[in-house]
Amino acid sequence: MSDPKKEGEGLKGAAFSGGKSSLETVLGFLKRTLAEGCFDALLLPVKAPGGDSFPYVLVQDKALLEDRGSPLPPIMPVQGGKAVSSLTRRGKAPRKVAALMRPCEVRATIELFKLAQVDLENIFLISIDCPGVLPVKDFAADPEKGMAAFGEVLEKWGDRKVRPVCQICHRFTAPLSDDGAGMVVDLHIGLLGIEDGEVLLIPYSPAGEEILAKLDLVPAAGGDILSAWRDRANELTKKRGEERRRAQEEMKSKVRGLNNLLETFDKCINCHNCMRVCPVCYCRLCYFDSEAVKHPPDDYLRRAGDWGSIRFLPDTILFQVGRMSHMSLSCVSCGTCEDACPMDIPVAQVFSLVADEAQEYFGYLPGRSTDEPIPLATYKEEELEEVEDAPQGASSETKEKDG
Amino acid sequence: MEEDFMPRIIGFLCKWCTYAGADLAGVSRIQYPPSILPIRVMCSSRVDPLFVISSFLRGADAVLVAGCHPGDCHYQRGNYYTRRRYAVLRKIFEELGLEADRLRLSWISASEGRRFADVITDYTERIKKKGPNPVKKEVFL
Repeated sequence: MSDPKKEGEGLKGAAFSGGKSSLETVLGFLKRTLAEGCFDALLLPVKAPGGDSFPYVLVQDKALLEDRGSPLPPIMPVQGGKAVSSLTRRGKAPRKVAALMRPCEVRATIELFKLAQVDLENIFLISIDCPGVLPVKDFAADPEKGMAAFGEVLEKWGDRKVRPVCQICHRFTAPLSDDGAGMVVDLHIGLLGIEDGEVLLIPYSPAGEEILAKLDLVPAAGGDILSAWRDRANELTKKRGEERRRAQEEMKSKVRGLNNLLETFDKCINCHNCMRVCPVCYCRLCYFDSEAVKHPPDDYLRRAGDWGSIRFLPDTILFQVGRMSHMSLSCVSCGTCEDACPMDIPVAQVFSLVADEAQEYFGYLPGRSTDEPIPLATYKEEELEEVEDAPQGASSETKEKDG
Repeated sequence: MEEDFMPRIIGFLCKWCTYAGADLAGVSRIQYPPSILPIRVMCSSRVDPLFVISSFLRGADAVLVAGCHPGDCHYQRGNYYTRRRYAVLRKIFEELGLEADRLRLSWISASEGRRFADVITDYTERIKKKGPNPVKKEVFL
């Protein structure tokens, strides 16, 4: 798998049609890949029998694919990166599996690959333009209404019904240009700017080209559909980027400072769901589940003595800030943490705010490349002198003269 | 009140360089403020950012992570990793509007007893000016 192509470097796309709707067409394409033996199995969201959820299923059965396969489900109950990791954490897939995911899930998969939690051999990654997902709780409360709402979301591509992090997601499609919005993927399915019933298949790796060749699909450079897709995607990327900056500024004013931070997280019930569903929180034993966070009574009483009082369960902020220090460089802003929060704390909005900043500091984009090491796993001998000793102007409080 | 305030600084000192440097400051009888509470670690890279956050949230007025100068790590590369982790942590503190200047990373070798005393003196002065860590008033951490 190689790094994403840059704009103008021969991005090619093959139009594919056959379904009444675009998603039906995607299913048709997937069915053909199975029929032609391109893959032995597909990993994709499948509608659960109750119709109220869309778990990932490793599908070999074409009938199941046809009946329940959901290339773009209205919710994200499980992050795809976690699904691929469950499949391959103990070794490579023995046969070819294509995994169809949203872009943030693909990026999480790449991060997990770098963290040695995913084996990409025999895994073919397919991404699809994503309009966002509905909050999982809204959907669970009324799946029928949820399906209708998601229909609207698909039409409008910017609906306020999707989760707040989805509304400001600027990496909802495949790599478009060399401005850094890259992603490692084999094949991308474009929906944006294309007529309903038709989709665009864009290969991003030699493996992707091979699959299209096997299906006698000839991707063409240029062409109306490709440029329509690219124009719409570029336009939306730019718009979302601006919305993201605006929303993050607003969020900043709500969380910055100890008091605001406490106010944001004081509803936390210490269930740690956010950590458990996070694709890049991959540790098998989390520090916060370990004995290290359980202190003897004496310790709490002493703290209560110093403070006057102490809350139980303790260490909420330690958990949140600690988790940021561990995973923010690989955070893909997928929003699963916020979905999982029973107290509706804007976890994902706060985390992605901090993550964007940390990632920018190292010029790192999660999921961009398989060769680019995660910043904490590498170093340069000469760098970051600005953090050593007592940096000036780093914090608003640092106003005293340099000694 | 400022006169009376002696900050409590939790120091994570690497065994090979800074801890030995602190020892040298001691045997050389160099004076420095009694603000530092040293914790010896085998390498500065042993310091999980959680240790620092935990110290900060449990009311330390400041936290110091100190180890060998870059290039001199007993384990070749440990302090380079420390620096990156620390940089991320600092960024997070800044972004969340927590007081990042209550954190410090310094390189102090085993022969730098004088530098150890200077770093502690300088850091203590800075924190004295800032006053006690405001988290001490917060129950709902």
